[in-house]
Amino acid sequence: MKLSIERVSKQYRGKVWALRDFTLDLRPGVLGLLGPNGAGKTTLMSILATITRATQGRVLWNDTDLAENPDAIRAVLGYLPQDFGVYPNLNAVEFLEYLAAVKGLDAAASRRRIDELLNLVNLADVRKRPLGGYSGGMKQRIGIAQALLNDPQLLIVDEPTAGLDPEERVRFRNLLSELSGERIIILSTHIVSDVEATATDIALISSGTLVAHATPEELLRQVEGKVWEQVVPSDQLTAAKQKYLISGTTRRSDGVHIRVLASAAPNGAQPLAPTLEDAYLYCLTAHRAGAAA
Amino acid sequence: MTSTRVLYHLVRADFLERVRRYSFLVTLAMAVYLGYGCFTGKVVVRLDDYRGVYNSAWLGSLMTLVATVFLSLVGFYVVKNTIQRDQETRVGKILATTPMTKSFYTVAKMISNFAVLAAMVAVMALVALLMQALKAEDPNLDLWALLSPFVIFALPAMAFTGAMAVLFETLPVLRGGAGNVIYFFVWTALLAAPVASLDKGATVSRAAYFSDFTGIVSIMGQMQQDLHKIDPHYTHGSALTIGDTQTTRKFLWTGLRGSPALYLSRVTCVLLAVGLALLASLFFHRFDPAREWFSRKARKEREPAVANGEPVVTFTSPPQAAAHLTPLQRSQNAASLPRLVLAELKLMLKGHRWWWYAVAAGLFVASLVSPLEATHGGIAIVALLWPVLLWSQMGTREARFGTASLIFSSEGSLWRQLPAVWLAGVVVAAVTNGGLGIRLMAARDGHALTAWIACTLFVPSLALALGIWSGTSKTFEAVYTVWWYVGVANHMPGMDFLGTTAESARPAMFLMMAAALVVASYLGRRAKLAYA
Repeated sequence: MKLSIERVSKQYRGKVWALRDFTLDLRPGVLGLLGPNGAGKTTLMSILATITRATQGRVLWNDTDLAENPDAIRAVLGYLPQDFGVYPNLNAVEFLEYLAAVKGLDAAASRRRIDELLNLVNLADVRKRPLGGYSGGMKQRIGIAQALLNDPQLLIVDEPTAGLDPEERVRFRNLLSELSGERIIILSTHIVSDVEATATDIALISSGTLVAHATPEELLRQVEGKVWEQVVPSDQLTAAKQKYLISGTTRRSDGVHIRVLASAAPNGAQPLAPTLEDAYLYCLTAHRAGAAA
Repeated sequence: MTSTRVLYHLVRADFLERVRRYSFLVTLAMAVYLGYGCFTGKVVVRLDDYRGVYNSAWLGSLMTLVATVFLSLVGFYVVKNTIQRDQETRVGKILATTPMTKSFYTVAKMISNFAVLAAMVAVMALVALLMQALKAEDPNLDLWALLSPFVIFALPAMAFTGAMAVLFETLPVLRGGAGNVIYFFVWTALLAAPVASLDKGATVSRAAYFSDFTGIVSIMGQMQQDLHKIDPHYTHGSALTIGDTQTTRKFLWTGLRGSPALYLSRVTCVLLAVGLALLASLFFHRFDPAREWFSRKARKEREPAVANGEPVVTFTSPPQAAAHLTPLQRSQNAASLPRLVLAELKLMLKGHRWWWYAVAAGLFVASLVSPLEATHGGIAIVALLWPVLLWSQMGTREARFGTASLIFSSEGSLWRQLPAVWLAGVVVAAVTNGGLGIRLMAARDGHALTAWIACTLFVPSLALALGIWSGTSKTFEAVYTVWWYVGVANHMPGMDFLGTTAESARPAMFLMMAAALVVASYLGRRAKLAYA
């Protein structure tokens, strides 16, 4: 099972390039696709989900070109878009039954699957309530359930935890980890903690290009020995921000504790263990500096 | 910021948003095409076999009549989405948190509707100007005579139409598809009522002025009087006609004569428009989700269960320790088309109130038990209009509810889901008008039965094609209602898709049209998908 993205570019009207020469090979596991807003994550997801066509390049699912046979990927695809709607007059069961029919699932198998999914996303008790009355978080969970309807080999989830409360967020992260065995999961988000909890691989994307593709450990190694904590008086915080790349600040009684990303230790700074958020920020800043140069 | 400035920016933003939309350009193109129709003589104001010399007065009045009659109907459907768009784009929620009052908002919306329609009127005025130059029947350009009918009649009519659109959008029942259908009948009644008072050669009564929102009676009444002075044998026939109408004689018409009653009636029309906009504010929900139907229903269902007077939490489950999903065998992905048709049918039928089904069932039973003539000429005609809101969902549902990305990323959405939608529409047509079908089969009336089959295939095909290509249910609701009224209810040959009379039936033509529309639907959907 493999998904190959080969030099994919996407140009929108107005000659705006959302993706440029994007290449990535994926095997079973959870890929965390991280990037700032407007980086091209959703465009990439839409191309992989056969919603939009790449302007250049190709996508191969088990060596089958998506352009030649889109149904090869659609048959095994589970897709949770960033923005999606529901039919407000249908209840959860009816909506999932409808989508099961659209996806071509067998009636008996889909009924069992729907029961399990509604339990899984914690909507079993409201299964008969029209979706028009669901909250944003509940709709999001319906979206997660529909993405898993056909037991997908390729699961693409775009900002899946948006609108979920902390408890549901943890449940979803656990679910992704449990599902990751024999399938490829692409988790697109700008929330680093979601990726931290689940991803086996991370792809950093910025301005439509791939900045880095590595395991979380490899990314962390890049900022090993480059994360420091320094205490500065409140009135010097602005100056510190101009001088250093800062990934976090905490106000305490002795001043503001700033988390600095730098090759050499600032005055009086103590070394810290890096986090994925540090690595993300460091890589993006380095990429932007390189692009500007 | 002053109220005037707020109003200006509200109207401006709304106006710009709408004139940059595809539907505005399409309507504008249609308006220009009507102008071209006037130029080529396909659209004429005919008084017996007379028409006016194409001078400034005649052309201004002709184009004004075309603009008011056309835009008061089609323009309504173009602008009746301003509040809905604020809701869909969630801009409304931001506006609701500002100090703006409900009446200010609805009046602003009325003005922006008016601005959009007035822009179209301006284009038609330009066409009138061009026509006079190109036709060259009268080289003397009289700008007042040319433009005054637009100012006196078309602009107030557009204000009225814009206000009606706001009122319809705020009233719970009328804001949806039912309102689109009902407006056609309201428009017909508003147009017909004053026309009935067009008495032969008599002066137009004051009452007629005040009920004549399009100006058709005021303008044509004066034309009639003036022609009668020139030709006493003139029999006082007059009509605004579209098609190959030949006029053999011309007369010189020098233009409208204003009167206090006429001007007062037009001012009243504008005041009425403002009044309707203010009335709309009483029903406007100010984007409060609690006043929406779904929320009310959901809230009712969310009301906590009570045990011994104490509320009981009913729908929170303990967090599960682990996910359990039975693996799905790949061979299980083999649902049949009938199941998908059933699913589409269920989706189409969901959400209607009990009385909708009761009326549909009543029409079905009445079709079975009434004399065949009464069924064919009356009950079946009504039964054909009743499911209009079911058909109008076809091809538009995915865009309307934002489910396109879920459905179009599924396997075979083009060759499975699209035919399923069409077949569901055919089933609705066959069942709701099934009483007539059964009666025709029993009567062994082959010709009428063929027309019934053609109708059953044609209507959902039209709905699907218009839905896919226009992206909105309004197009079918408006086009179908007009077509149904002109063709079926009035038994017009070539337009009567049910074939209510032997003379008006054209089953072969409608079968061919159904096939063409199915192909158009396929091509339209194919064009919207990244991959077929």
